Amino acid sequence: MSLEKKDDFDHYGWLKTKDLTPIESVFLTTLVFLDRRLRIVDYLELLEDAYYKVNLQMPKSHTEQYDLDNKFWYWYPLYSLGFFSTLAYIVAAVSGALLGFYYAPTAAGDPSAAYNSIEMIMTELQFGFALRSIHRWAAQIMMAAVFLHMLRVYFTGSYKEPRELNWLLGIILISLSMVFGYTGYLLPWNQLAFWAGQIGVEMALATPIVGEWAAQLLFGGFTLGQATLIRMYILHVFVLPFVVTALIALHIGIVWVQGIAEPH
Amino acid sequence: MSENETTDDARTDGGETGIVAPDDEVPTWSERKERKAGLSRLTYEYFERSRREDQDLRNESDYVERDVLGFPTWPHEIIRNLSISMFFVGMIVLIAAALPPSLEAPADPSSTPEIILPDWYLYWSFGLLKLNPLNPGLAVLDGGKLLSDQLYGVLANVVVVGAVALLPYLNKGSARRPVEQPFWASIGVGGAVFSITIAALAVQNLIPLPLPLQLNIVFVFPVVAGIITYAVLKTMREGYMYGLNRRYYMLRPPK
Ligand code: HEM
Repeated sequence: MSLEKKDDFDHYGWLKTKDLTPIESVFLTTLVFLDRRLRIVDYLELLEDAYYKVNLQMPKSHTEQYDLDNKFWYWYPLYSLGFFSTLAYIVAAVSGALLGFYYAPTAAGDPSAAYNSIEMIMTELQFGFALRSIHRWAAQIMMAAVFLHMLRVYFTGSYKEPRELNWLLGIILISLSMVFGYTGYLLPWNQLAFWAGQIGVEMALATPIVGEWAAQLLFGGFTLGQATLIRMYILHVFVLPFVVTALIALHIGIVWVQGIAEPH
Repeated sequence: MSENETTDDARTDGGETGIVAPDDEVPTWSERKERKAGLSRLTYEYFERSRREDQDLRNESDYVERDVLGFPTWPHEIIRNLSISMFFVGMIVLIAAALPPSLEAPADPSSTPEIILPDWYLYWSFGLLKLNPLNPGLAVLDGGKLLSDQLYGVLANVVVVGAVALLPYLNKGSARRPVEQPFWASIGVGGAVFSITIAALAVQNLIPLPLPLQLNIVFVFPVVAGIITYAVLKTMREGYMYGLNRRYYMLRPPK
């Protein structure tokens, strides 16, 4: 190989010979820059290959196969419920991240610092009131959408082989979403929160064998206090966001790979 | 390109190592597989099998493939998705603006409020916890209970969630429309109604009905709803939609 830099691979020289719009030239320059260092194009090629393997020969959909063009599967609008769950989840995540800047998970004080921080968000913080409202409603709407999504999956028989896995994953997801909601419900540390927490502890303690251990782990003891609040907080803003986001991605990934169940 | 003119001693990149195996010595996949033992060998074998199976299925299939790739992502899909998403997020913001949340009194361990409730989506679970009037007292235990009331409630939750999880293993087959399986559709409607009636049990102290009557409602309404569903779907079977469906099952896809 020659040491001289001028050869077929003089990409920047090649760029100059082309008549590019600013967007195109920025794009190409970036691409070339990255490719020379990270061999991007190899990976793009792999992706492209995979993409065409998946998409190039899309089989005819059911309605096309049976020439049902004039028939509408009247459940189709309900197929958007899973997507709506995802959207509401994203809205809740974004508004929640913003709320997290101002919330203090501290049960000490009278009323508690946690309660005070929520009060501050609602009365003093610019848009704080709207933010909390949006966060709550996004969570409520997500739960509603998830329930309805589950019903649509049931009544369209979409849980049948080979989609059992996604059904089970869905049950894990709906349970975790409820835990998500429950832990969030406790955070304002108001009367409702405290007594809902009390019931949680009692439920945990009523479980045989693992009960006390579970109460210790989840609620930080058998009576509610700072330990409980901080556990709820960590679950709500650290553990569950990662776990649930990953599971939703997996859930939707599986739908993508398997394809939506076709009605008959 | 100056590559071809470069002589060996002018090379600056060290040249080739010269230790690449000649083509006929590179092991084929089958040979590699044979050298393997245990799990990795099984994996190779399975992959080969499943690839062959795919190919056989593809060869046999009279499935119609289309020459159109699909709708273009832009603008069709993106604009549709954006408008749906923006509408949906807009609705969330609108509702949030119209119905802001309240912030109740701060936590006070010394005063139990009259109404203790989780968010509405947990009512069903909370209702199951309140099934204790149905926890049977046993004569042999002098009316004592085998399970504590709380454990009974927790177990009720486990049973419900477990039953839902088992669903795909209980109802198999390729039927999709409710008319094709009136029984399972009625189970579904019964279950959905039960999730509402049991949620009503969670707020029993707000409902001005005697508890025994409420407990009856919890279980009778779902059964009634299920029976009605069953009857309606059975009737619909007589109609043309059902015949249409069945034929599509029987038919192979047209070429
Ligand atoms: C966090 C909650 C959930 C999210 C974000 C979610 C999201 C989605 C999305 C986007 C789809 C694509 C099809 C559609 O939109 O209908 C889907 C499909 C599916 N979901 Fe969910 N889902 C959730 C919970 C559940 C639950 C609770 C179940 C049932 C127990 C479930 C079972 C399924 C199944 C079986 C499919 C495949 C349906 C088909 O192929 O037609 N999902 N999900």
